[in-house]
Amino acid sequence: MAEAVPLRIDAEVVAAEPAGGENHRLRLAVPGWPGFSPGQFVMLSPGARAAVERSDPLLPRPMAIYRARGGERPEIEILFKRHGRGTALLAQARPGERVGLFGPLGRGFALAAPGERAVLVAGGTGIASVFELASRLRAAGTPVRVLLGARSRGDLMGEDDFARASLPLVVATEDGSRGERGLVTDLLERELARGGPSRVYACGPTPMMRRAAEIARAQRVPCAVSLENPMACGFGVCLGCAAPLAAGGFALVCRDGPVFDAERIAWAGLP
Amino acid sequence: MSDARALAPGDVDSRVDLGGIALRNPVLTASGTFGYGREFEPFLDLRRIGGFVAKSLTLEPRHGNPPPRIAEAPSAMLNAISLENVGVDAFVRDKLPALPEDVTVVASLFETEIERYAEAAKRLGGVPRVAGLELNASCPHVKSGGIEFGQDPRLLAQLVREVRRATSAPLLVKLSPNVTHIAEMARVCEGEGADGLSLINAVQALEVDVERRRPVLANVLGGLSGPAIRPIALRMVWQASRAVGIPICGIGGIGCAEDAVKFLLCGATAVQVGTANYLDPGVAGRVAEGISAYAARHGFARVRDLVGRLETDRG
Repeated sequence: MAEAVPLRIDAEVVAAEPAGGENHRLRLAVPGWPGFSPGQFVMLSPGARAAVERSDPLLPRPMAIYRARGGERPEIEILFKRHGRGTALLAQARPGERVGLFGPLGRGFALAAPGERAVLVAGGTGIASVFELASRLRAAGTPVRVLLGARSRGDLMGEDDFARASLPLVVATEDGSRGERGLVTDLLERELARGGPSRVYACGPTPMMRRAAEIARAQRVPCAVSLENPMACGFGVCLGCAAPLAAGGFALVCRDGPVFDAERIAWAGLP
Repeated sequence: MSDARALAPGDVDSRVDLGGIALRNPVLTASGTFGYGREFEPFLDLRRIGGFVAKSLTLEPRHGNPPPRIAEAPSAMLNAISLENVGVDAFVRDKLPALPEDVTVVASLFETEIERYAEAAKRLGGVPRVAGLELNASCPHVKSGGIEFGQDPRLLAQLVREVRRATSAPLLVKLSPNVTHIAEMARVCEGEGADGLSLINAVQALEVDVERRRPVLANVLGGLSGPAIRPIALRMVWQASRAVGIPICGIGGIGCAEDAVKFLLCGATAVQVGTANYLDPGVAGRVAEGISAYAARHGFARVRDLVGRLETDRG
């Protein structure tokens, strides 16, 4: 998709609701939305864009675009977990209020080629990066399976949306409170060992993505990962989100990513 | 005097002279927060601001620190990027020609040895598109066991002297706030022929991840920037401006025109917007326009008449 100039607006909150446990869902009105590739993100600031005057917390938060609705009144949806002060304030936003929005930013996932089968593996909030990917892959005729892992059932997000969209979802929790007991990467290992998927997409905590990359490599299947390094700007100038590369040097998650071929990343150097 | 009669913002003369660098208005953007300028073109007409200070350059290209490189603190952020840059030659060859002719560019330079600083200054100072140099002195001196140049008055004097010898271009020295007597450092630079001073650089800081019992930054220490450091910066600009006659460029947590005016009142001739560029890439343009609006509202026909107009009851 051609790179559009990202929107920079105070977006009106259309809906704000709890999404289970510490999870929240925001629907934002985004007039002039240029569309997005799955895996792209927005920078969100609690309160209006006058982030500079409202100085604490100072930095906007990078958030995956969960899904979008076009038409005359375009909206995007963000699914996130209450984690610190910034996300706590975003979780308090009420309909009619505004949040600072900058995006879409970064480079998203490349869709699979015709004839491929895809497996998507997400850990915790990583699910927010792959809902749209799953939908578009399926719309393009690529068979898709989604593997979702979390510590416990309260940490799961988006399960109902996948069911409603009839996207096949397999769940694993570390404590066994929902789905299989174990790690989502165990599901991936089994899935790939059985053969079939020719492409892996992964988003979640670094150890999970690193493990997914190892499993994919062992089966000689390409693996795309979406990294989540902290960043201040989102457009390539603060250099805060640098990810170490296997070939040496760094890539910027905001500008060169957040989606990378897993083989490009020097995993041992990622926190 | 002031407040006598309001003017229209369009009637205000916003031009300033920063040590031989002619600026259409007193707002620059700070090195390391503005890339090489082009990154901001989708969001800001660079001709709305006085100019920008490009990311600090070394003779050779340089990779930065491993992640995590940034952390958040109340009304502030810490960074330990470690001056990742494309190097002097690539800047001159690729970055400068990509900019519109009428954009004022100040080149920031840093090195780890005095001879290399002088060499970088010589190369950059001879480039016509470079309006002036900013010497980043907050960098460890390899030969002195890693002491920051800007923290030792003798080392700082030696550095400014050698760089001054290497170039006749307008020379600003960017001062570290991590010193006991900022006025002394300011006088040292003036004595060695600096044309102006930029202050303050980021404040050395540490943030801790208490769950992991580790520093948040891989580098352990980082530089604190953002609104939290503004009152410290104002204090240092005020002290330095009373110690020297050369112009000062005030830096530290500026996010709006009122913030910038505070620096002018404390004795700064110009200002640099830094961390706020990350949060809103168009902010520097609004700061520039807001300063003229303030001057007009308070009856100052020239922005430069605001410089040093802080009124105190003590001498």
